[in-house]
Parts: sequence; C-alpha cells; structure tokens
Amino acid sequence: MTAFSLPRNEADDFLVALIEKQSLFAPVEKDSIISYQLVANPGDALWNFSNSTVPPKGILFPQTETLFKFTGSEVSGGIELPPQEKETVIFGIRPCDGRAFKIVDHIFGWDYQDPYYLERRARTVLVGLSCYEPASNCFCTSLNGGPSSKEGLDMLLTDLGDRYYLEVLTDKGGKLLNKNRKLFALALDSDTKEKNSLSKKVESKLKRKVMSCDELQKKMGDLKEHKFWEETSLRCLGCGICTYLCPTCHCFDMQDEVTDGKGRRVRMWDSCMFREYTLHASGENPRPTRVERFKNRLYHKYKYYPDSFKITACVGCGRCTRYCPANLDLIDILTEIGKI
Amino acid sequence: MRNIQKIIKDGARKAVARDDVKYVLGWTPGYGFRVSPFFARTAEDTERLIFSPLCANNLTIYLTLQEKLPLPKAAALDKRKIALFVKGCDSRAVIQLIAERGISRDELVILGVPCGGVIDISKLEAKFPQAIKVEAVEEGEKLSLKVDGKSQEIPKEDILLKKCSLCEYPNPLIYDVLLGEEKQKKTKDYQGISTFEEKSPNEKWTYWGDKFARCIRCYACRNICPLCYCDSCILDKLSPQWIRRSVNLSENTVFQLLRTFHLTGRCIGCGECERACPMGIPVGELNRKLEKDVRELFAYEPGIDIEEKSLLSQFKPEDSEDFIL
Amino acid sequence: MENPYIPYLAVITDIRDETVGERAIKTFRIAFQESSVSKNFTYQPGQCAMLGILGKGESMISINSLANDDYLQFSVMKMGKVTSGLHECEVGDAATVRGPYGNGFPVDDWKGKDIILIGGGIGQAPLRPVINYVLNRRKQYGKLTLIYGARAVSDLCFRKELLELKKLKHLNVHLSIDKKEDGWKEFVGFVPDNLLKVHPSPKNAIAVTCGPPIMIKFVIANLLKLGFSDEQIFTTIENRMKCGIGKCGRCNVDNLYACKDGPVFSYAILKNLLNWSSG
Repeated sequence: MTAFSLPRNEADDFLVALIEKQSLFAPVEKDSIISYQLVANPGDALWNFSNSTVPPKGILFPQTETLFKFTGSEVSGGIELPPQEKETVIFGIRPCDGRAFKIVDHIFGWDYQDPYYLERRARTVLVGLSCYEPASNCFCTSLNGGPSSKEGLDMLLTDLGDRYYLEVLTDKGGKLLNKNRKLFALALDSDTKEKNSLSKKVESKLKRKVMSCDELQKKMGDLKEHKFWEETSLRCLGCGICTYLCPTCHCFDMQDEVTDGKGRRVRMWDSCMFREYTLHASGENPRPTRVERFKNRLYHKYKYYPDSFKITACVGCGRCTRYCPANLDLIDILTEIGKI
Repeated sequence: MRNIQKIIKDGARKAVARDDVKYVLGWTPGYGFRVSPFFARTAEDTERLIFSPLCANNLTIYLTLQEKLPLPKAAALDKRKIALFVKGCDSRAVIQLIAERGISRDELVILGVPCGGVIDISKLEAKFPQAIKVEAVEEGEKLSLKVDGKSQEIPKEDILLKKCSLCEYPNPLIYDVLLGEEKQKKTKDYQGISTFEEKSPNEKWTYWGDKFARCIRCYACRNICPLCYCDSCILDKLSPQWIRRSVNLSENTVFQLLRTFHLTGRCIGCGECERACPMGIPVGELNRKLEKDVRELFAYEPGIDIEEKSLLSQFKPEDSEDFIL
Repeated sequence: MENPYIPYLAVITDIRDETVGERAIKTFRIAFQESSVSKNFTYQPGQCAMLGILGKGESMISINSLANDDYLQFSVMKMGKVTSGLHECEVGDAATVRGPYGNGFPVDDWKGKDIILIGGGIGQAPLRPVINYVLNRRKQYGKLTLIYGARAVSDLCFRKELLELKKLKHLNVHLSIDKKEDGWKEFVGFVPDNLLKVHPSPKNAIAVTCGPPIMIKFVIANLLKLGFSDEQIFTTIENRMKCGIGKCGRCNVDNLYACKDGPVFSYAILKNLLNWSSG
C-alpha cells in the first residue's frame, strides 16, 4: 500500500481543496462540545483533540431524516436525501469511530438494504486521523481497534509533527488522493517507521482494558441470570446518552408528521434504554424494567451482534462511560462480568 | 474534627443494620474522579461508601425511579424503608417530593450530610486527564487532592459547579441523622439572570436557539430530575402527541420550555439537569430564571417545608398578576 | 437501490366488525392500487405485513387470507394510534401495505402430521390461514383440531366462520369462553384448561398456539404436560415493530428479530431466549 506525506503547513490547503469540490464535515468545537459539522473554512476544523463529544455517525445516519413525503393519501416526493449533490468527505474521524461505520454497515446492509444509509455511505469518503492522546476511558485495543486502526476508513492521516503521514486504504480514498495528488509527496520508509513507532507509543498510553471480544461473547452467554445485572442497572437513570452518543448504536423510531395537509414519514434515533422503545400499545412490555433494558443493551453489543455478524458492536470509544450522569462505568462493568 | 469518611460509614452501617431498612443509598468512588450512586445492602457494602466534593449525584431520584411491577402471586410488598444520604440541595428535593405526596416521609431514613459544594469533574479531568485513583478532601475553601499518589491543593472556587458557588442551603433541611458539621451558607444572587433579562428578545433567542439546536433529546435532564417522576410523561405520548420526536430547533425548544415550566415552583435547584446534559446546554439557567420569578412574584420557595402546598395549587387574592400579558 | 420503506398504496374494500368494545376487532380487506403489485404479492400462512395509514403510521399485522385467495385480509384490534386510525376508516379509504414480512408457519414441513391449533382472542387471526391452507390440502395432513376461546361469546373473533367450521366433519372445533353465559353449550373456562380437556395426542402432531402472552405461557406448559416435545410446539411473537425489516432494533428477542426471523418460533428455539416476555 502506498503512503504519502503532507507538510503540516499545507494541511489547510488539503482542507481548502476538499471544501471546494466536496461537502466537508470536520470536527468543530463550540462551548466545549466537539461535533462534526459542515465547514466552509479550513480554520474551523479541529486537528488537535482527543475525541468528539458526538460521534460522526449522524452524518450517514442522521438523528432525524425524512424517509418520504406524502400529501393526503398519496406518497409523493419519494426519498428525500440530504442536500448533498457533491460527494461528501468526513475529515478527522478517530479510528474508533471509523471502525464503528464498518460495524453499522452490517445491520444496514443485511438482507433488506437500507438505501438511505448505504447510498450516503457510498458517496462519502471517510478520512481518519490517528489518535495521539487517548482519553481516560478509551479502551479500543480491547475491541480489536487501536489508535491507528484502519478498518472502515478510506484514508488515514497520522500527525508526525511537521508533517502528516497519509495512508490510502480504499479505492474511494485513492480517488480522493488523485484529485489532490499535487499536495502530497510519497512517504519515505523512515516516515513509515516513525508512524509505526508513534502508534505503539500512543497505544501504550491506553490504560484501561477489558477481556477479548470472544471471551466476552462466551462469558455473557453463560451469564443470563445473575443478580449482578439488577445491582448494576438499579443505578441506571434510563436516559439515552449512552445510546445516542454511541458510534455503533443504530436503533430508530419511525413516525408520521403532518402539517397543513402535507406529511412526511420520518425516522429518528431511538434508544433501547427508554421504556417506550418496546412498550406494546396494549401496555405489555417485554422489557419492563431497567434491568432488562440495561442487560439487553450490553447483550446486543457483546453477544447478539457478534452472534449475528461476527463482530462486536462496540469500539471502545468510552463515550458511554464518560457521559453517563450516574457515572456507570462500562469498562468496570465488563471487567466485573469477567470476574463472575 | 472526626474523619468525615468514618462518620459516613458509621452512619450507613447503623442504618443498614436496622430491620426496617432495605438498603442505604450512598456514593462510592469509581475510576478517576468518578463517583457513582451505590446501593449498600450489608455492613460490608457500607465500607465502600464515601462522601466528598466529588459526590455530585442527587440520590433522591432513585426513590421514584424503580419500576413498580405487579407482584408475583403470594408475594408480599417489601415495606422496608430506604435510607439515603442527602446534601443540602438533595434534602430539598426530598422535602418537595414528600410535600407533593410523591413519597411518604415514613418510607425514608434520611442521612443528612452538610456539603461545602460539589466539584465540576470535567474541570478536574481537564487538569488530570490520566487520573486513575483519586482521593478528594475538602479543606475549607480548598480541595485537597491526591491523584495517583501525588497531592495537590486547588481553590474550590475554581472548580465548583456553578450552582454550588451560590448555595444558600449547604445544610440538609430534613434528616433523621445529621452526619458531619454544618457549613456556612452563601448568598444566592440572580445577577447572571438579571443581566440576561436586560437583553433584547432577539439576543435571547440567538443565545437559546444556539443552545437548543444542539439538544439531542436524550432526556437525561428529565430522567435525572428528582422531581420529574410522572408515570407517563407528556414527552412520550403518541396520541395526542404534544411534542414531535423530530430533533430540530422548534421541537427542541418546545421540549426545553415544557420541561422548565413543569418545574415552576417545584425545582429546588440541585442542578442535576445541567450536570447531566452531555451537550453542555445550560438548562439550569432556565430553572433559575423561573425560581427567581417565583420568588419575586409570590415570595415562594419550594422544598423548604413538607407541609407547604405547591405553588400552583394555591391562590391568594394578593398574588401578583404582573406576568399576565 | 430498492427502497423497502416505501409502502404500496392500497384501498380498503371491505370492513367487518368481529367484536365490539374498547378493544374491538375489525376485519379489513385491502386491494392494491396497482394490479402488478397484487400479482407479485405472495405470502405464506403466518406471514405479516405493515398495514398503515399515511399520517398515522404503520402496524405489523398478521395476514389472515391465503395467497391464492382473491382478497388480502387483516384483522385488527383497536389498540394504539395506527390501529385506532384503522378502526375509524370506511370502505374506500386509503391504506398502505409493506411486506410480506417474517417467516410464516412451516406448513409444508407439517404435511402428514396431525395439526392442533390453540388460539385465544385475536390470536385466531394468524391461525385462520393455517386452517384454510390445511383444508385446501385436506388429504395431505392428518387430524386437524382447533381449540379456540375468548373472554365472552361477543369476543369470539371470526364467529360466523367458526360456526361454519364446526359443521365440517374433517375438523374438530372446541370453543370456550372464560365465564358462563346463557345458551353457551361449549366449554367454560380458560383456553389452557380446554386444551387439557380435549387432550390431543402428541403422536406425530404439531401444536400451534397464538394469543395473549399469558395464555401462551400456560398453553405451552400444558402441551408439555401432554407429552409434546419442544420441537412440536410453535407460537408467534408480536413485539413492537417499526421497520419490519430487522433494522430498527426494538422487536429483538435476543439476537433474533421478531419481524424478520419470526414471528413464528418453535418452542425449542424460544425457550432458550432471554428476552422472551412469556418465558
């Protein structure tokens, strides 16, 4: 695989080129909240940050999106895709969030194809940015990821101080490179060495670890009934933070909205932590308490998803732990599961 | 002064030993600066409890959070009391809950702990991003920290949660046992709110529109609120649907305003909504504005007296009508 | 790329009241607007479809006609927003259909076997196409037994059809109501008890039960008592659903989705699942 090098002082030129020809989403900070936004100025994009508050999943799977419109009893307008005639580039994706797209690809692509996600996925180039300062609750290495993991991404940039090291990972990434080829020099062997040693160094900064995905999957199969679940989930407040900020959570609701005779069917993120998520109209609820709901969320990630798709639905980004208002610590919980 | 940790553990152990107590709700340290709610059921469990300025969670929420499922045949209702630790503001939530008949006083054993303010842990995490084991001890106006063996002192005022730097009620107003020494009250001022009130409607909208636009509707502010305990919340109803589930500025604004208005004359200012918000929306400011209005218009303060009627269920001929447009 | 979220447009051609009351049941016949859709819309007994009204939403409803019938039929209990909306509809009103979804009953695997159907309330809806499927191929199956009950006579779904079925010789129909009523000559009591009274033999038999979760729980317990093996018992799961195509997440029973992998499950599969509410 060919690698390239981009001088630091030309990095903004790369973003300018991206903005000119594509819709560019990049990490942006506002009121200490980092999220991926459509940017018009290269200066708005963050290059130095630990990870975003909100993962970039919403660009391909928006929190709210119109599936189709209707007037009266007639479906009209068909699919409404977001206003992106240009190809989209998401810049500055941390490798954990890049892996998350690969995981979510399974659910949207199995059996019935989800055209909204998949079409957006097809015309979006994912440009990763290696992690250099993991946050205290990062544990990606336990989930087969790492600070320079390439899975799911089309390109990966790694900060080598005075220059960025660029790896092209897919044809899509190659095409984007070719459009901007003049900005990049071929990387030297010494660059590759430097990048590899940097990745190892960053990896050693990760302090938190849990057992392997295989072990977790097996362990949870043996642990269906245990008082541990009740004790743990009693502390859960049942809010949607851990699911909404999770880069791999993909559940949604569908509702119809009608205004002045014009309607649309909308899908919006939903959360398995909400009681209403599974509540039947009859009042019956297969997951009536936080115990079942909490358990289901963890089982979905570490058992059901790998059972179905041979990949764990967690990338170890640590957001659920970082933002839980009850300070429920997923890493502790997984560690605890290992001890039972 | 006896060590507060020992006082806390002793108090919890005594409570948990009672036959009529189901468990003691307290705080236990976790990884780094995090402290989590903890249900202590045995004397051994109580050894894990602590109290420090890192104990942010208002545990009152757990009194109403537990789902009430139909009991299995022949099973008797567990009528044992719940013992819980309350800081000053938390105790006001308990009072308000009792006053609203959300819970009954005799279901509780209240362990009061005077509180000198709670720390905004995101500020500490920014200073010590790789902290693993942390001990925090309050020493007057300073926080003495031991982070992975290294000691350091930080002025509290730099790192307190905003609501704590203006706290009028550091000492619990209701308790069965008071554990620890009473703290000095601070004077509440609404300066920030008053300044904001002076702004033009346009400026206000720009400010709040910007904040509401990024609300992800995770409902953490609702779920963590000790006084949001309706069995069926207006936000979740489908027919009629009062608020659409679409996440956009319009629906988010309705949601935020409804949430605030439902707490008019009820919010006791524990600030948990604001602390919970992952998107950094200062939702507590909305509550503080209504708290100010309620005080100025009706000289009313919720969560002080369990016998007090709720603001909206009482009417006095001399009530202010200035707010009616 | 085909879009599985866009529904077929259809019209309600017939509405019949099955039961009345707060949770009334109505039977709807639906015709697609485009004849090409009607031609291609084939399905198995036990399969479902998303029946909807634009502006209200969609509900996953069991199709209770057969693919070679000249009509498409659903029976709907008035319950939530969409089903209440359907109950307000009149003949000629527009509806939408997506599907067919789910696995359906493995009726062809059951050839040569005795079939015992045990239903309660609206649970008769998914059983109806099984009865008709077997009746259309009567010689290919063994004994056919229907044990069906409701709270009261007025709550019996497909009452008229049931009375017709009772007249047939090659089908045993055992009806029940929960509480005694004047003129009722059949069993009084719960469906699981009627099952014990009828006492079907498990020998070379398949038992299928549909109905309220609590009924299913006791029916399965009684079937096991009667000597049925886990593999001989089938039931359906109707969880809350939105997408119908295994994406939105909510209908999961462990790693299976009721909408896609179900709604039909054998008890052999079901009993090991954690998230089965009747378990």
